[in-house]
Amino acid sequence: MTRQTRIALWGLLVPLAILALWQVAAMLQRTPLFPGPGKVALAIWANYPVILRELGITLLRAVVGFGLAAVTMIPLGIFLGRVRVIGRVLEPLMDMLATLPPPAIIPLVMLFAGTGDGAKVVIIAYAAAVPLLMNTYEASHSIHPMLSRVARSLHLSRFETMRLIDLPSSLPMIATGARLAIASSLLVSVTSEMLLATNGIGTFLQRSQETFKIDAGLAGIAFISLAGIIVNAGVFRLEKNWLFWHYRDQRPAE
Amino acid sequence: MIPGIAVLAEKFRVPICIALVLGVWQIVFVLGVVNEKYFPSIPTIAVAFGQMLTDGSVIAAWATTFLRALIGLIGAALLGVALAIVSDLSPILSRGIRYVSDVLQPIPPAAFVPMAVFMLGLGSKLYAFVIILVTVWPPYLNGVAALAGVGPVQLNTGRMFGLTNWGLLWRVKLPAALPEIFTGIRYAATISLIAVIVSEMLAGRDGIGFMIFKKAFAMRTPEVFGLMFLVAINGVLLNGLVNLLRRGLTGWHMRMMERSE
Repeated sequence: MTRQTRIALWGLLVPLAILALWQVAAMLQRTPLFPGPGKVALAIWANYPVILRELGITLLRAVVGFGLAAVTMIPLGIFLGRVRVIGRVLEPLMDMLATLPPPAIIPLVMLFAGTGDGAKVVIIAYAAAVPLLMNTYEASHSIHPMLSRVARSLHLSRFETMRLIDLPSSLPMIATGARLAIASSLLVSVTSEMLLATNGIGTFLQRSQETFKIDAGLAGIAFISLAGIIVNAGVFRLEKNWLFWHYRDQRPAE
Repeated sequence: MIPGIAVLAEKFRVPICIALVLGVWQIVFVLGVVNEKYFPSIPTIAVAFGQMLTDGSVIAAWATTFLRALIGLIGAALLGVALAIVSDLSPILSRGIRYVSDVLQPIPPAAFVPMAVFMLGLGSKLYAFVIILVTVWPPYLNGVAALAGVGPVQLNTGRMFGLTNWGLLWRVKLPAALPEIFTGIRYAATISLIAVIVSEMLAGRDGIGFMIFKKAFAMRTPEVFGLMFLVAINGVLLNGLVNLLRRGLTGWHMRMMERSE
């Protein structure tokens, strides 16, 4: 057994200890409103088909909203970074948008677009747009001047420069923005469902509370967490595969 | 000529941005693209906002929300740094806490609220629990990375001065890690505000989040816009406070960065 695996195994004691404490606390409380991990495990078994179906709806909306934001904000960010005057002048506007927490716009969007899929996708797209736009702009704005000179000596047009120089060299930072945006779209997808309850895992959580099935609600939360872990791991893998050139270039510098 | 305009435009970019937003807004309103009920004119919003301010309840709600976010942030920052220090002392605990953070981090604050309401009520306990649970991770993760990244030269210099392990942590590692920890705290400030607003919307008793939702259901659009403006101000204020503290605690680092530029 290597040192690494030994640490990993002993480390498991921390979450296990927390689970044990929780179980003891739940047994002392003796109320269905504070279920222990055992009850939650049973609730997972009883509810997993429903939870998976609702979670699928949630994830689908998150993907659509994120896709919408990526398709519009990455080109916009590169444009603002390349056409410096416009970008610099609009910087305060971007900062203003960044200070407004995405869930705060939920009531507003509800006024405009109701509670349906469209409204939720708009909210998710807004949540994903801010980190994507900021990071893309920051990356293409602070691009190495030598790269711009290369573009000029190759007589690339503005559009070609953006597509062939700015986009690839901004990708590592866009990836960071995308990671934030994915986390944020998942979060907002669930939140929007809780506030504008129609369907999805967020609505499932609300219904569980209203019917006093806290164990089912916690089972739903466990699945949200699992989905988050899987998505994060997937994004990490994709980043390693697509941006291998970036990590390869970085290593000797360390 | 053109560069002159560019420089001028950059100098006055804040007023330009504000004028741009107000201008586009008013044009959309005048053209009547969107129903006036959902898209009030700027003067209407300003008047509604002014009326709300004269009524004390908005100020009270605003203060409640801001204080909740601030207290939650302070608690989360302290706990995050404490967890980072513990992680730095023991690799096993570090791995263990990382398991917990991996599981808890993807869960949105909104999801905790309905489950915690029965246990914690609708008062400050609920907000402290939800905010700290979602806000603690950025300071913690940055703290772990920063404490581990303190250079060997600094550590050896500290040892040469005869510092014990505690002294080393307190007087060398922690100060060296503070700038990166503050990056985490700044990110945490944003999250804590989100967590407060969402919890207030769901708990539905007081605060700006609740007020926005109430006004939205009553179709009072101008007031909704006004309250959103207040939320944004909260964000700016919270960020300003964090920056102030950062300047006080890590001013040496910022001066160093400026000099090297």
